[in-house]
Amino acid sequence: MSESRTADEDPIVSVEELTKEYGDGVDSVVAVDGVSFGIDRSSITGLLGHNGAGKTTVIKSMLGLVRPTEGVVRVGEHRVDDDPKRTFEHVSAVLEGARTTYWRLTVRENVHFFSRLAGYDPTEYRARYEELYEAFDLENKVDTTVNELSRGMKQKAGIVAALARQPDVLFLDEPTLGLDVESSLELRRQLTTLVSEEGLTVIVSSHDMEVIEEICNRVIVMSDGEVVADESVDTLIELFDRQNVALSLSGADEPTLSRLRDEFDVVDDSTRDSYDRIEVSVENTAQLHSLLGRLVDADVSVTDIETTEVDFSEVYLELTDDEEWNRTAVSQNNA
Amino acid sequence: MYRYPINTLASIVTIYVFFLLTLFGGRAVGGGAFDDSLASIVVGFFLVTASISAYNSLANAFAAEASWGTLEQLYMCRSGFGLVAVFIAVAEVLISVLTAFSVLMAMLLTTDIQLQFNLVSILVTLVLSVSSVIGVGFVFGGAAVVYKRIGNVFNIIQFGFIGLIAAPVESYPALKLLPLTQGSYLLRRIMTEDAHLWTFAPSEVVVLVATGVGYALLGYLVMLRFVRIARNRGVMGHY
Repeated sequence: MSESRTADEDPIVSVEELTKEYGDGVDSVVAVDGVSFGIDRSSITGLLGHNGAGKTTVIKSMLGLVRPTEGVVRVGEHRVDDDPKRTFEHVSAVLEGARTTYWRLTVRENVHFFSRLAGYDPTEYRARYEELYEAFDLENKVDTTVNELSRGMKQKAGIVAALARQPDVLFLDEPTLGLDVESSLELRRQLTTLVSEEGLTVIVSSHDMEVIEEICNRVIVMSDGEVVADESVDTLIELFDRQNVALSLSGADEPTLSRLRDEFDVVDDSTRDSYDRIEVSVENTAQLHSLLGRLVDADVSVTDIETTEVDFSEVYLELTDDEEWNRTAVSQNNA
Repeated sequence: MYRYPINTLASIVTIYVFFLLTLFGGRAVGGGAFDDSLASIVVGFFLVTASISAYNSLANAFAAEASWGTLEQLYMCRSGFGLVAVFIAVAEVLISVLTAFSVLMAMLLTTDIQLQFNLVSILVTLVLSVSSVIGVGFVFGGAAVVYKRIGNVFNIIQFGFIGLIAAPVESYPALKLLPLTQGSYLLRRIMTEDAHLWTFAPSEVVVLVATGVGYALLGYLVMLRFVRIARNRGVMGHY
């Protein structure tokens, strides 16, 4: 491992023992507890966690919008709490959905306003803004008030206005919230292109695990104010080197199914027509053989067998034991 | 303002209609005695318009920005949020002065009174008077960021301005140290007695400047304190 890092290798954002406590005395709530991590330049890092995990507090602490109780946040060489104005030269954010622009102003007016707010003369960056309008499919909407745009377009307008500040680090809090599938996919593609072509550093906070899995190099998983995992997406999935096997069974009675649930990690089971279907997560081939052996012993026929890949949501659940998310996911699957 | 002209016009019309109600009601009740003090009433309305317009706009500005989601964006300004707040205040003062002059023209066309238009004296006195109110606007604007829905308190304060403008400072000179009172007294004399700022005693002008600048500065510092509290509580963007 390298003993020293060059300036370019230093994290562009570093968080050291960040703690935030809201309130006083018995009513106080520790929203973030001793969180530490560094964000590398030109990366897309995901911040994942359930409601109340502390993601928004961490992001706002990095932006200087929330004063930490303890700990230090640095953007570049600047301590955020001590030197917020210098910090603001390097960061920009789209927070909490689409409402970070002035809806009564046009897209262009918003871009110019936020450009000036950041100290840039918009007339000098006209070409740059035209590129951004085109990159986010807003070129025909620049003179439309944000209020008249669709939900997805509003979100893109917010991102373009944030980019008008020429940030080194862009924070996105739930960027795909409320977007339809097509708009979400499109936005993900545009963000990925932006990072790869411009070397921007992006930090994304999201519940949408598909977004995190697809666009992020690395994910920091938070639960109850603490970091429970901080790895690349691929590494996290490898850590849970599992396979899900879906079996359609004939002749399985309830005692047999109950024993299977006790002995194996049954992810899902249901009854369709006269067939029972169970989905089991197995760690290796030996475990799969053991499962099949149990079924043979119980005189249960396997009429179909199918393997499915572990998805990131299961990894997340394993890490955080997020019951609320699980209930929501199950109800959506059964709908 | 130009994108939503009806909205802009409506605010001016509302104040003018209120003046008409006062005019006709006053004449019906007071008759000739009311007409004798009409000039002072018009000047008072002129200042009330500017004051309430500036106070309302600034006090609501921060709450509005928080509800739109843009307050945090404004906070993340490399020049500092304080400077942004000052620019907002200056813009609101300018708009309030324009609004006040619009209403003044309408009032003069409606009545047959004559007022003196020593423009420099009027503008300086008006701006300094409104500055003291801006301080109050900063305080309540900052409070709204922390405590959110305090609209009812906003409204009560506006009635207070009417009382301050009518305050009998000649009988009780100590009242000159309150917001608006000195400005109201001097503006009445400028517009009805053809006085100029430089014809007043220096102490009168000093009090005008001190209260204008002092209340504005105090309010600004209180506003910054409220913003710090909002950051501590993590509520700047919430509404």
